[in-house]
Amino acid sequence: MSSTKSKRLDQLDQKIVEKLARDARISNRAIAADLGVTEGTIRTRIKRLQGEGLIQFTVVRDFRMAGSPNLCMLGIDADPAHVPALAEALREMPEINCVVVLLGRFSLLAMGLFTNIEQLNDIIANQIRTLPGVQRVETGISVHNLKYEPGVAKITPCTDEG
Amino acid sequence: MQIRSGRPMAAPSLDALDASIIEILRTDGRATNQDIAKKLSVTAATVSARLQKMEDARAMRVVAVTDFAALGYNVIIALGVKVQGRGLSDVGRDLAALPEVLSVNVMNGRTDLELLVALHDFSDIQHFLYDHIARVDGVAHIEAGIAADILKFEFNVAPL
Repeated sequence: MSSTKSKRLDQLDQKIVEKLARDARISNRAIAADLGVTEGTIRTRIKRLQGEGLIQFTVVRDFRMAGSPNLCMLGIDADPAHVPALAEALREMPEINCVVVLLGRFSLLAMGLFTNIEQLNDIIANQIRTLPGVQRVETGISVHNLKYEPGVAKITPCTDEG
Repeated sequence: MQIRSGRPMAAPSLDALDASIIEILRTDGRATNQDIAKKLSVTAATVSARLQKMEDARAMRVVAVTDFAALGYNVIIALGVKVQGRGLSDVGRDLAALPEVLSVNVMNGRTDLELLVALHDFSDIQHFLYDHIARVDGVAHIEAGIAADILKFEFNVAPL
Protein backbone atom coordinates (compact mmCIF):
# COMPACT_ATOMS: atom_id res chain seq x y z
CA MET A 1 0.00 0.00 0.00
CA SER A 2 1.18 3.51 -0.66
CA SER A 3 2.83 5.39 2.18
CA THR A 4 0.48 5.45 5.14
CA LYS A 5 2.41 8.23 6.82
CA SER A 6 0.47 10.59 8.98
CA LYS A 7 -1.29 12.34 6.13
CA ARG A 8 -4.06 12.69 8.66
CA LEU A 9 -6.59 15.42 8.92
CA ASP A 10 -6.55 17.74 11.89
CA GLN A 11 -9.72 18.64 13.74
CA LEU A 12 -10.63 21.58 11.57
CA ASP A 13 -9.96 19.56 8.41
CA GLN A 14 -12.27 16.88 9.73
CA LYS A 15 -15.07 19.29 10.42
CA ILE A 16 -14.76 20.79 6.95
CA VAL A 17 -14.68 17.37 5.34
CA GLU A 18 -17.75 16.23 7.26
CA LYS A 19 -19.71 19.12 5.82
CA LEU A 20 -18.43 18.57 2.31
CA ALA A 21 -19.17 14.85 2.48
CA ARG A 22 -22.82 15.67 3.03
CA ASP A 23 -22.96 18.35 0.38
CA ALA A 24 -19.93 19.48 -1.55
CA ARG A 25 -21.86 22.44 -2.96
CA ILE A 26 -21.92 24.27 0.35
CA SER A 27 -20.18 27.65 0.02
CA ASN A 28 -16.89 28.48 1.75
CA ARG A 29 -18.75 31.32 3.44
CA ALA A 30 -21.35 28.97 4.94
CA ILE A 31 -18.69 26.57 6.22
CA ALA A 32 -16.68 29.46 7.65
CA ALA A 33 -19.69 30.91 9.45
CA ASP A 34 -20.59 27.53 10.88
CA LEU A 35 -17.11 26.74 12.15
CA GLY A 36 -16.27 30.27 13.27
CA VAL A 37 -13.22 30.76 11.06
CA THR A 38 -12.59 33.00 8.07
CA GLU A 39 -13.62 32.21 4.54
CA GLY A 40 -9.95 32.41 3.52
CA THR A 41 -9.03 29.66 5.97
CA ILE A 42 -11.67 27.38 4.50
CA ARG A 43 -10.52 28.13 0.96
CA THR A 44 -6.87 27.36 1.83
CA ARG A 45 -7.73 24.19 3.72
CA ILE A 46 -9.88 22.78 0.93
CA LYS A 47 -7.22 23.61 -1.63
CA ARG A 48 -4.55 21.84 0.42
CA LEU A 49 -6.69 18.77 1.07
CA GLN A 50 -7.44 18.50 -2.61
CA GLY A 51 -3.86 19.17 -3.62
CA GLU A 52 -2.52 16.45 -1.35
CA GLY A 53 -5.04 13.96 -2.69
CA LEU A 54 -6.73 13.55 0.68
CA ILE A 55 -10.13 14.53 -0.62
CA GLN A 56 -11.78 14.59 -3.99
CA PHE A 57 -15.09 15.91 -5.22
CA THR A 58 -17.32 13.51 -7.06
CA VAL A 59 -20.75 13.51 -8.58
CA VAL A 60 -22.61 10.50 -7.26
CA ARG A 61 -25.58 9.44 -9.32
CA ASP A 62 -28.43 7.43 -7.92
CA PHE A 63 -28.70 3.77 -8.90
CA ARG A 64 -31.86 4.49 -10.85
CA MET A 65 -30.08 7.07 -13.01
CA ALA A 66 -27.60 4.41 -14.05
CA GLY A 67 -30.29 1.90 -15.02
CA SER A 68 -30.46 0.27 -11.58
CA PRO A 69 -27.38 -1.91 -11.92
CA ASN A 70 -26.45 -4.70 -9.55
CA LEU A 71 -23.13 -4.64 -7.78
CA CYS A 72 -21.26 -7.78 -8.80
CA MET A 73 -18.27 -9.04 -6.88
CA LEU A 74 -15.71 -11.25 -8.54
CA GLY A 75 -13.38 -13.24 -6.35
CA ILE A 76 -10.46 -14.25 -8.52
CA ASP A 77 -7.93 -16.95 -7.67
CA ALA A 78 -4.74 -16.66 -9.62
CA ASP A 79 -1.20 -17.88 -9.97
CA PRO A 80 0.66 -15.58 -7.50
CA ALA A 81 3.27 -14.60 -10.06
CA HIS A 82 0.53 -13.17 -12.27
CA VAL A 83 -1.32 -11.16 -9.63
CA PRO A 84 0.31 -7.75 -10.23
CA ALA A 85 -0.25 -7.96 -14.00
CA LEU A 86 -3.82 -9.17 -13.49
CA ALA A 87 -4.56 -6.33 -11.09
CA GLU A 88 -3.34 -3.89 -13.72
CA ALA A 89 -5.39 -5.53 -16.48
CA LEU A 90 -8.53 -5.39 -14.32
CA ARG A 91 -7.89 -1.78 -13.42
CA GLU A 92 -7.93 -0.87 -17.08
CA MET A 93 -11.33 -2.44 -17.72
CA PRO A 94 -13.91 0.36 -17.78
CA GLU A 95 -16.65 -1.99 -16.55
CA ILE A 96 -14.72 -2.72 -13.35
CA ASN A 97 -15.09 -0.06 -10.65
CA CYS A 98 -12.94 -1.55 -7.95
CA VAL A 99 -9.82 -3.71 -7.89
CA VAL A 100 -8.29 -4.98 -4.67
CA VAL A 101 -5.29 -7.25 -4.19
CA LEU A 102 -6.44 -9.47 -1.37
CA LEU A 103 -4.71 -11.55 1.29
CA GLY A 104 -6.80 -14.59 2.07
CA ARG A 105 -10.14 -15.52 0.49
CA PHE A 106 -9.03 -14.72 -3.06
CA SER A 107 -6.00 -13.38 -4.87
CA LEU A 108 -7.99 -10.45 -6.20
CA LEU A 109 -11.38 -8.92 -5.66
CA ALA A 110 -12.95 -6.98 -8.49
CA MET A 111 -16.32 -5.25 -8.47
CA GLY A 112 -18.48 -3.80 -11.17
CA LEU A 113 -21.99 -2.50 -11.69
CA PHE A 114 -23.94 -4.45 -14.27
CA THR A 115 -27.45 -4.10 -15.59
CA ASN A 116 -27.65 -7.52 -17.17
CA ILE A 117 -26.25 -10.98 -16.67
CA GLU A 118 -25.11 -11.40 -20.27
CA GLN A 119 -22.82 -8.41 -19.96
CA LEU A 120 -21.42 -9.72 -16.67
CA ASN A 121 -20.88 -13.15 -18.15
CA ASP A 122 -19.16 -11.69 -21.18
CA ILE A 123 -16.64 -9.87 -19.00
CA ILE A 124 -15.93 -12.94 -16.90
CA ALA A 125 -15.82 -15.53 -19.67
CA ASN A 126 -14.18 -13.52 -22.43
CA GLN A 127 -12.12 -10.88 -20.69
CA ILE A 128 -11.12 -12.15 -17.25
CA ARG A 129 -10.91 -15.93 -17.43
CA THR A 130 -8.83 -15.66 -20.56
CA LEU A 131 -6.12 -13.63 -18.81
CA PRO A 132 -2.89 -15.50 -18.03
CA GLY A 133 -2.75 -16.90 -14.51
CA VAL A 134 -6.47 -16.83 -13.71
CA GLN A 135 -7.47 -20.08 -12.08
CA ARG A 136 -11.01 -19.45 -10.92
CA VAL A 137 -13.56 -16.66 -10.81
CA GLU A 138 -16.27 -16.77 -8.19
CA THR A 139 -19.20 -14.45 -8.75
CA GLY A 140 -21.49 -12.96 -6.15
CA ILE A 141 -24.33 -10.63 -7.04
CA SER A 142 -25.64 -8.06 -4.62
CA VAL A 143 -29.41 -8.25 -4.48
CA HIS A 144 -29.83 -5.56 -1.86
CA ASN A 145 -27.67 -2.78 -0.55
CA LEU A 146 -28.11 -2.06 3.14
CA LYS A 147 -25.32 0.43 3.63
CA TYR A 148 -22.96 2.43 1.52
CA GLU A 149 -20.70 5.33 2.51
CA PRO A 150 -19.95 7.34 -0.60
CA GLY A 151 -17.81 9.73 1.42
CA VAL A 152 -14.94 7.35 2.13
CA ALA A 153 -12.84 5.71 -0.55
CA LYS A 154 -9.38 5.03 -1.78
CA ILE A 155 -8.30 8.06 -3.77
CA THR A 156 -6.10 6.80 -6.52
CA PRO A 157 -4.17 9.09 -8.86
CA CYS A 158 -5.41 9.98 -12.34
CA THR A 159 -8.98 8.87 -11.91
CA ASP A 160 -10.92 11.55 -13.67
CA GLU A 161 -13.31 9.48 -15.71
CA GLY A 162 -16.83 8.92 -14.41
CA MET B 1 -32.27 -7.74 -12.85
CA GLN B 2 -33.76 -5.13 -10.58
CA ILE B 3 -33.16 -4.39 -6.98
CA ARG B 4 -32.94 -1.55 -4.51
CA SER B 5 -33.90 -0.46 -1.15
CA GLY B 6 -37.65 -0.41 -1.44
CA ARG B 7 -37.78 2.82 -3.41
CA PRO B 8 -39.62 3.29 -6.69
CA MET B 9 -37.53 2.19 -9.64
CA ALA B 10 -38.52 4.92 -12.10
CA ALA B 11 -35.61 7.26 -12.68
CA PRO B 12 -36.20 11.00 -12.62
CA SER B 13 -35.69 12.31 -16.13
CA LEU B 14 -32.85 14.70 -16.84
CA ASP B 15 -32.69 16.97 -19.84
CA ALA B 16 -29.65 18.19 -21.75
CA LEU B 17 -29.07 21.14 -19.44
CA ASP B 18 -29.12 18.91 -16.35
CA ALA B 19 -26.64 16.60 -18.03
CA SER B 20 -24.35 19.52 -18.92
CA ILE B 21 -24.40 20.74 -15.34
CA ILE B 22 -23.48 17.27 -14.08
CA GLU B 23 -20.68 17.07 -16.63
CA ILE B 24 -19.14 20.31 -15.35
CA LEU B 25 -19.46 19.21 -11.73
CA ARG B 26 -17.73 15.94 -12.57
CA THR B 27 -14.54 17.82 -13.37
CA ASP B 28 -15.00 20.55 -10.78
CA GLY B 29 -17.40 19.71 -8.01
CA ARG B 30 -16.83 23.06 -6.33
CA ALA B 31 -17.53 25.23 -9.37
CA THR B 32 -19.86 28.03 -8.30
CA ASN B 33 -23.31 28.36 -9.81
CA GLN B 34 -22.05 31.50 -11.55
CA ASP B 35 -19.14 29.61 -13.16
CA ILE B 36 -21.48 26.90 -14.38
CA ALA B 37 -24.04 29.43 -15.59
CA LYS B 38 -21.43 31.31 -17.60
CA LYS B 39 -20.22 28.15 -19.31
CA LEU B 40 -23.72 27.12 -20.29
CA SER B 41 -25.05 30.60 -21.10
CA VAL B 42 -27.86 30.45 -18.57
CA THR B 43 -28.44 32.35 -15.34
CA ALA B 44 -27.04 31.33 -11.98
CA ALA B 45 -30.60 31.10 -10.71
CA THR B 46 -31.39 28.50 -13.36
CA VAL B 47 -28.35 26.45 -12.35
CA SER B 48 -29.34 26.71 -8.71
CA ALA B 49 -32.92 25.62 -9.47
CA ARG B 50 -31.76 22.67 -11.60
CA LEU B 51 -29.36 21.46 -8.91
CA GLN B 52 -32.06 21.75 -6.29
CA LYS B 53 -34.46 19.81 -8.48
CA MET B 54 -31.96 17.01 -9.06
CA GLU B 55 -31.11 16.76 -5.40
CA ASP B 56 -34.77 16.75 -4.39
CA ALA B 57 -35.41 13.94 -6.86
CA ARG B 58 -32.43 12.12 -5.33
CA ALA B 59 -30.97 11.89 -8.81
CA MET B 60 -27.48 12.99 -7.88
CA ARG B 61 -25.36 14.58 -5.21
CA VAL B 62 -21.98 16.24 -5.28
CA VAL B 63 -19.93 14.96 -2.39
CA ALA B 64 -16.42 15.11 -1.05
CA VAL B 65 -14.72 11.75 -0.88
CA THR B 66 -12.01 11.34 1.74
CA ASP B 67 -9.13 8.93 1.37
CA PHE B 68 -9.09 5.95 3.74
CA ALA B 69 -5.59 6.82 4.90
CA ALA B 70 -6.47 10.46 5.55
CA LEU B 71 -9.06 9.23 8.03
CA GLY B 72 -6.50 6.93 9.61
CA TYR B 73 -7.99 3.76 8.12
CA ASN B 74 -4.96 1.71 7.26
CA VAL B 75 -6.59 -1.72 7.18
CA ILE B 76 -9.39 -2.42 4.73
CA ILE B 77 -11.10 -5.79 4.88
CA ALA B 78 -13.50 -7.47 2.46
CA LEU B 79 -15.57 -9.59 4.80
CA GLY B 80 -17.86 -12.40 3.72
CA VAL B 81 -20.51 -13.45 6.23
CA LYS B 82 -22.69 -16.55 6.30
CA VAL B 83 -25.91 -16.35 8.26
CA GLN B 84 -27.91 -19.01 10.03
CA GLY B 85 -31.17 -18.92 11.92
CA ARG B 86 -32.00 -15.27 11.28
CA GLY B 87 -33.09 -13.12 8.35
CA LEU B 88 -30.29 -11.76 6.16
CA SER B 89 -31.61 -8.20 6.25
CA ASP B 90 -31.89 -8.20 10.04
CA VAL B 91 -28.34 -9.45 10.45
CA GLY B 92 -27.17 -7.05 7.76
CA ARG B 93 -28.79 -4.10 9.46
CA ASP B 94 -27.16 -4.95 12.79
CA LEU B 95 -23.79 -5.15 11.07
CA ALA B 96 -24.46 -1.91 9.18
CA ALA B 97 -24.89 -0.14 12.51
CA LEU B 98 -21.18 -0.61 13.26
CA PRO B 99 -19.34 2.55 12.17
CA GLU B 100 -16.32 0.59 10.94
CA VAL B 101 -18.55 -1.13 8.41
CA LEU B 102 -18.59 1.04 5.29
CA SER B 103 -20.88 -1.06 3.17
CA VAL B 104 -23.20 -4.02 3.50
CA ASN B 105 -24.62 -5.96 0.58
CA VAL B 106 -27.02 -8.89 0.70
CA MET B 107 -25.55 -11.35 -1.78
CA ASN B 108 -26.67 -14.05 -4.09
CA GLY B 109 -23.56 -16.20 -3.98
CA ARG B 110 -21.47 -18.33 -1.69
CA THR B 111 -21.64 -15.81 1.13
CA ASP B 112 -24.86 -14.23 2.36
CA LEU B 113 -23.53 -10.79 3.19
CA GLU B 114 -20.51 -8.90 1.95
CA LEU B 115 -19.05 -6.10 4.05
CA LEU B 116 -16.35 -3.58 3.51
CA VAL B 117 -14.68 -2.81 6.80
CA ALA B 118 -12.19 -0.05 7.59
CA LEU B 119 -9.96 -0.29 10.67
CA HIS B 120 -7.14 1.85 11.94
CA ASP B 121 -4.66 -0.86 12.76
CA PHE B 122 -3.81 -4.51 12.38
CA SER B 123 -4.21 -4.87 16.11
CA ASP B 124 -7.90 -3.90 15.75
CA ILE B 125 -8.71 -6.83 13.49
CA GLN B 126 -9.15 -9.58 16.04
CA HIS B 127 -11.12 -7.42 18.43
CA PHE B 128 -13.41 -6.13 15.74
CA LEU B 129 -14.07 -9.47 14.05
CA TYR B 130 -14.61 -11.54 17.15
CA ASP B 131 -16.01 -9.05 19.64
CA HIS B 132 -18.24 -7.08 17.29
CA ILE B 133 -19.01 -8.92 14.05
CA ALA B 134 -19.11 -12.49 15.41
CA ARG B 135 -21.33 -11.47 18.32
CA VAL B 136 -24.15 -10.28 16.10
CA ASP B 137 -26.97 -12.79 16.36
CA GLY B 138 -27.19 -14.95 13.25
CA VAL B 139 -23.58 -14.60 12.12
CA ALA B 140 -22.52 -18.21 11.57
CA HIS B 141 -19.28 -17.86 9.64
CA ILE B 142 -16.92 -15.08 8.61
CA GLU B 143 -14.21 -14.95 5.95
CA ALA B 144 -11.85 -12.02 6.02
CA GLY B 145 -9.77 -10.89 3.08
CA ILE B 146 -7.32 -8.13 3.88
CA ALA B 147 -6.62 -5.56 1.19
CA ALA B 148 -2.94 -5.57 0.33
CA ASP B 149 -3.45 -2.92 -2.32
CA ILE B 150 -6.40 -1.05 -3.73
CA LEU B 151 -5.73 -0.18 -7.36
CA LYS B 152 -9.11 1.22 -8.24
CA PHE B 153 -12.06 2.43 -6.25
CA GLU B 154 -14.43 4.43 -8.37
CA PHE B 155 -18.04 4.20 -7.42
CA ASN B 156 -19.91 7.07 -8.91
CA VAL B 157 -23.21 5.33 -8.50
CA ALA B 158 -24.85 4.74 -5.13
CA PRO B 159 -28.25 4.43 -3.51
CA LEU B 160 -29.13 8.02 -2.64
